[in-house]
Amino acid sequence: MGGKRAAKLFVALHLVCVLVPLAVVAVWAFTSSWPWPELLPQTFSDRGIVELFVTSRDLGEVLAVSVGISLAVAALSTVVAAMAARALVSYRFFGKELFRFSTVLPFLIPATVFAMGVQVVFIHAGLANTVFGVVLAHTIVALPYAITIMSEVTAAAGEKLEQQARVSGAGPVRALFEVQIPLLLPGLLSAASLSYITSFSQYFLTLLVGGGTVKTFALVMFPYLASGDRTIASAYGVLFMAVTLGVFFLFELLLKRFASAKTEYFTD
Amino acid sequence: MAISEARKGNDGADGAAASELPRAMTRRRFVAVASTAAATMLLGSALAGCSNASDGEAASGGDAAGEVDYANWDAVLEAAKGQTVSWYGWGGSEPRNTWITTVLAPALKEKYDVTLNLVGMDINDILTKLSGEMQAGVEAGSIDYIWINGENFYSTKENGYLWGPFTHYLPNFNDYIDSESNEVLYDFGSPVEGYEAPYGKAQMQMWVDSAKVKSTPKNPDEFLAFCQEHQGRVTYPEPGDFAGTAFISCLIAGVVGKDEFEKLSSMENPTTESVKAVIEPGLEYLRSLNPFLWKGGATFPADAATVDTMYADGELVMNMGYGAPEALVKNGTLPETTRSFIFETGTVGNSNFMAIAKNATNKAAALVAINEVISPEMQLSQYEELANISVLDMGKLSEADRAAFEDVPLGVTQLPIDELLDHRIVEAAGPVIPIIEQLWLDEVIGK
Repeated sequence: MGGKRAAKLFVALHLVCVLVPLAVVAVWAFTSSWPWPELLPQTFSDRGIVELFVTSRDLGEVLAVSVGISLAVAALSTVVAAMAARALVSYRFFGKELFRFSTVLPFLIPATVFAMGVQVVFIHAGLANTVFGVVLAHTIVALPYAITIMSEVTAAAGEKLEQQARVSGAGPVRALFEVQIPLLLPGLLSAASLSYITSFSQYFLTLLVGGGTVKTFALVMFPYLASGDRTIASAYGVLFMAVTLGVFFLFELLLKRFASAKTEYFTD
Repeated sequence: MAISEARKGNDGADGAAASELPRAMTRRRFVAVASTAAATMLLGSALAGCSNASDGEAASGGDAAGEVDYANWDAVLEAAKGQTVSWYGWGGSEPRNTWITTVLAPALKEKYDVTLNLVGMDINDILTKLSGEMQAGVEAGSIDYIWINGENFYSTKENGYLWGPFTHYLPNFNDYIDSESNEVLYDFGSPVEGYEAPYGKAQMQMWVDSAKVKSTPKNPDEFLAFCQEHQGRVTYPEPGDFAGTAFISCLIAGVVGKDEFEKLSSMENPTTESVKAVIEPGLEYLRSLNPFLWKGGATFPADAATVDTMYADGELVMNMGYGAPEALVKNGTLPETTRSFIFETGTVGNSNFMAIAKNATNKAAALVAINEVISPEMQLSQYEELANISVLDMGKLSEADRAAFEDVPLGVTQLPIDELLDHRIVEAAGPVIPIIEQLWLDEVIGK
């Protein structure tokens, strides 16, 4: 009983820690002045809303480009990560440990240094200032997260069921799509979500590789964060959260739809 | 179950041969698929590289064939038609961004069929991007022109990243700007030589909420008393930040005198010793302030944005910046009772400029856009909307234009332009600034 109550308390505490700052951001989006020691905002302003929906006339386009890029990154990095994880978990090949190490390498290099290197290489390869270049660069950053998740999930899922399907006469493609992928689905969606959010919040890399030609949401929002204009930064922040939550909700729906009752295989 | 466990173990053991055919096949297929993928990627990027190279040649070839005669303004206007020009600059000011997108951009579109693409970034990010493109030899760069000044201008010009001289092509520059004035000839002490056109003039100002603070300091001595009165509620951004460096410059100039301080603006080959010889009494004064500042002067806010929010939150009683906070009062961030002041000993001021990148793709459109920014009409609009001090020579304007400037009512936070310009101190030269900042780090903070 005591344990249960403590658990409830922790959940409540956690919710407060997460929701209160979010609520403050939401309030700030409509506030122009909230000085200490006032408990409530003193003056309100529609500046944030005007900036979002009137002044920046290309917001819809920017959002579409951002979400498109991030979804592409999520798809690309999840597929690559799933394949890499399968290679790491199930196969032995020359240089495997080196490969394993290199998958987390982008974690270890400072983002700024990495971005400058990518910029120069992409300029030579003709990928600079293109949407495809931005997708590729984001994918490199998102991959370590996706591979780490997929390695765990792939190892946990094992190969037993896939082999069983093969033994029962299913072809490799059918075994993959009807057995292994449903088994990995929760991991695939986690990897996709994390890749999505990693891509959606990239600023410096997008700036260098996309060069202002490819305008993403983070790129438009960042100057306001940096200059301390809280009303406008918060308005952008609220929209950022809404869009991200919307996409995650979609992922969640997909998971429910395609993975119902299949996850019980994990419990063998 | 057991079989598959065993297989797994076997698989992990050293020397596990490819005894099982299906596994060997799969592995081989894996390698084949992987290498095909790698080859595809390589081929793809090689192709992309090729097509880009030919693009670049085509573009530069076209450029050479249709080289615009920039000295002929009609030809420039003709070439600019239909171009999209990218303006890179600091993007953190919502009133300024709004002015550019709602006043300047429509005017450019309507009058000259030039589309303006404003890319608001931190100047350091812009310069990183520019140098990356220049070093990679990109001929059709993504940056057309840049809002720039000071040491950033100095270093980009030194590195050959700027295109010019170009200001003599601009009709409005020739007609309305005093090209012999020091503010136009020099940018933080380094000669401009036609590589950038002035955008606006800025001068350091301080402000308080007059409802809470009754009297404002008029010189460094009074400022010390002011800090004592409001102990722990006054500070300045750490020098290195534009506003922080400018503010300590105002105080140092107040202590050592305007003439002595302005020696720093023309100092050649400055050394730590030569700079210190000039500003030593100022450093001494700054140390004496520390005990009464926020956190006892042991630490300072990292940048002006932090100080701005601390002031807006009521944590500080005084704030400072280049220009009056009129826009912040208008949009309700600061109260109507906000009032600006300057020291009678003067405050530092500078001009900020627009420069064209050496590899700009749309140079003609950049010239047209810059020319428009310095037109009397747009300078007046900037003065009205943003309280930006104009770069135009009032003596060269028509009677009607001059009257229009004079008729603009001053906002509650704005000081008359004459009062500002009469108390204007020339900023230290670009190479001197980092030395002052280092001296402050060594001898002021925490001392």
